[in-house]
Amino acid sequence: MATITETREAPRADAGGSPRGSAPDTRAGARKRRGLADFTGWAFVAPAMVIILGLSIFPAVWAFVLSLQKWNGFAPPKWVGGNNYGKLLSDEEFWAAVSHTGLFVLLFVPASVLLGLFLAVALNRDIPLIGLYRTAIFVPFVASAAATGILSTYLFSPQFGLANNVLRSLGLPAQGWLEDPNQAMIVIAIMSLWGQAAFTTVIYLAALQDVPGDLLEAARIDGANRWQTFWRIVWPQLSPVTVFVTIWQVIGALQLFDLVYTTTRGGPLDSTKTIVYYLWEKAFKALDFGGGSAAAYVLFFVTLLITIGMVLYARSRKLEAF
Amino acid sequence: MHRRITWLALAAATATAAATLTGCSAGGATELDPEADVTITWWTGQADEAESILEGLADEFEELHPNVTVDISSGASSTEELLQKLSAGFASDTYPNISYSFGSWASELESSGRTLDLRDQVEDPSFAWDEFSEAARATVQPTGEKIIGFPALVDNLSLIYNKTVFDAAGVEYPTEEWSWDDFRDAAKKLTDPATETYGYAYSVSGSEETTWQFWPHLWQNGGEILNDDGTAAFASDAGVDALEFLRQMAVDDKSIYLDQTDTKFAQLFAADRIGMMTSGPWQLYDLNTAGTQYGVTVLPGTDGDHQTVSGPDIWALFDTQDVNENYWSVELLKWLTAPEQDVRWNVEFGNLPLRASEIDSPEFQAQVVALPGIDIMAANNENAVKSRPTVAGYVGLSEAIGSAISKVLQGQGDPKEALEDAAKKADEALADN
Repeated sequence: MATITETREAPRADAGGSPRGSAPDTRAGARKRRGLADFTGWAFVAPAMVIILGLSIFPAVWAFVLSLQKWNGFAPPKWVGGNNYGKLLSDEEFWAAVSHTGLFVLLFVPASVLLGLFLAVALNRDIPLIGLYRTAIFVPFVASAAATGILSTYLFSPQFGLANNVLRSLGLPAQGWLEDPNQAMIVIAIMSLWGQAAFTTVIYLAALQDVPGDLLEAARIDGANRWQTFWRIVWPQLSPVTVFVTIWQVIGALQLFDLVYTTTRGGPLDSTKTIVYYLWEKAFKALDFGGGSAAAYVLFFVTLLITIGMVLYARSRKLEAF
Repeated sequence: MHRRITWLALAAATATAAATLTGCSAGGATELDPEADVTITWWTGQADEAESILEGLADEFEELHPNVTVDISSGASSTEELLQKLSAGFASDTYPNISYSFGSWASELESSGRTLDLRDQVEDPSFAWDEFSEAARATVQPTGEKIIGFPALVDNLSLIYNKTVFDAAGVEYPTEEWSWDDFRDAAKKLTDPATETYGYAYSVSGSEETTWQFWPHLWQNGGEILNDDGTAAFASDAGVDALEFLRQMAVDDKSIYLDQTDTKFAQLFAADRIGMMTSGPWQLYDLNTAGTQYGVTVLPGTDGDHQTVSGPDIWALFDTQDVNENYWSVELLKWLTAPEQDVRWNVEFGNLPLRASEIDSPEFQAQVVALPGIDIMAANNENAVKSRPTVAGYVGLSEAIGSAISKVLQGQGDPKEALEDAAKKADEALADN
């Protein structure tokens, strides 16, 4: 903070004008000036800082303390140390939740990145009504996950849903969808994709418009066809964005909760019980806030590791994503 | 230099945040003075019509006692959320005098150490305490120690059958004499895959809805939920037989619609896709609104035993360290749960009356016309002879057996193994508390 103001002021002092400010140019005066600048800076930052501290740092610290305690929300908390973590790691249900979450990440992240890229390329052209198409893609992203979830329960109802009616009219066997343990996660991934594809599309659209035109022209003059131009010029140009959206979507996918809550409640046969759903159930259904917080912290560390891994990979490949 | 400033600022901000988060509790009156002005905070956990009925009664109470102000609100956007609100309220020392509470929270609320204890007061005849049903009284005394409040709502599971579906299949309506075998035969006859019609519906979400539907089966077979030493007893032969019976219906007969989310089966019943469901008074209003042709009777029985399960909810009373507030909170609930007021609240809204004596009241008779079958449900309270355990750890037990039931009904696993497995998990949860 202070260094910035100093470096800004330094050239001005050299500009040969009379020294600014009434304070004599002594060390004490400089310190006072710097103190004042510091104070002004902190005053600007303070309101936001209080909000962030109060609403995220404090709860995060408290959740960590909770994860070392046994607390049902009412009785005085008991200190149990790492006991909650030990229990968690030996809990089959937790590992099942981890594998369900992993499956969702594998289904959702590659699909959302590729679909976003495809849609962005498709929308990155000058045709009539392009604004309308872009809006149409973006609308589901604005709809709440709760609405998306309720919509999918109607669409994929095994008895009366539109999806099965279409299959029936094509003479194909009706499916169980959300009531079939082997299909439920796939349906949820499809619905997430429908809601989230707009996000990757918009990011890629912005990145596509940043691809230097002279590179594309040079490629064309050198005789590259459109396919070659895309994979040799555009795709490498997009790689920082790809790294970014991949990390972003992985973090989002690891935290899948709302769609599960509104569609299957973790069923059928727990096949869609994700980590966040598991921890919510632990804390708010079974009133084991310690166990729930421990699960939240395990998720946090896993997310952190994945993110660090991706960043290091990007740096080693000299992709300037971060 | 500024590194240090940063940490100082952080520390200061954290201290400020902590100071604002820890509320301060005002010291209340310690000498009882029934004439002193007093304000009671009351969280009802109700919405819409129910909330406005209670607000009207609160106004009436204020008129009767001009020195009392009742600060009434629903407390949260849904009844489930009251639990989190109460938990947060205890942490910051700002909690109501009275709150609605599901029966399953009772032992947790007692463990907070902030509830009142009415044990000495309810012996007073003016409370007419023994007119409340056994199950309701057990729920407000969750650990057998303190009585932490008043019964707020009683209900039970009865058999509701869809006349349209029965007529279409040409099956005789259920009677009070039915055995579970009669029930199973009927369900089989009502089921028609061609029209997606099912004889019966069972929730396999693994929640308490899954669990408590199972208890009447267990009890009628002579089984128990808990042993005397507080361990799980449901993995007995009685439990295995009960679960095997349901498994045969679900897997062999395919006559049960398995609801994954607790929410669909009632809608399907109203839409004439399901022949029978075991449910309670809360369904009747929607069924009448939908114009469904239905009838109500007691649960099918085992050797003439038609017992059912009841899930009472409570008005929990919290000690705010102010004797006047505590005194008037008890007075308010005593007044609210008295038959004269209860017919204008529970009965008026379509719940069952708290006391059997209200069944003859004109208000209840009017409801019988509006909600046919509610009289049978009210009488069925007598069949709720055993009550659900209210020990801490029941939540964990419920979750363990709930997921065992839902697995078995979906054709995964054998009843005996699943129940034994669930009993192990339940014992852990019970020992944990």
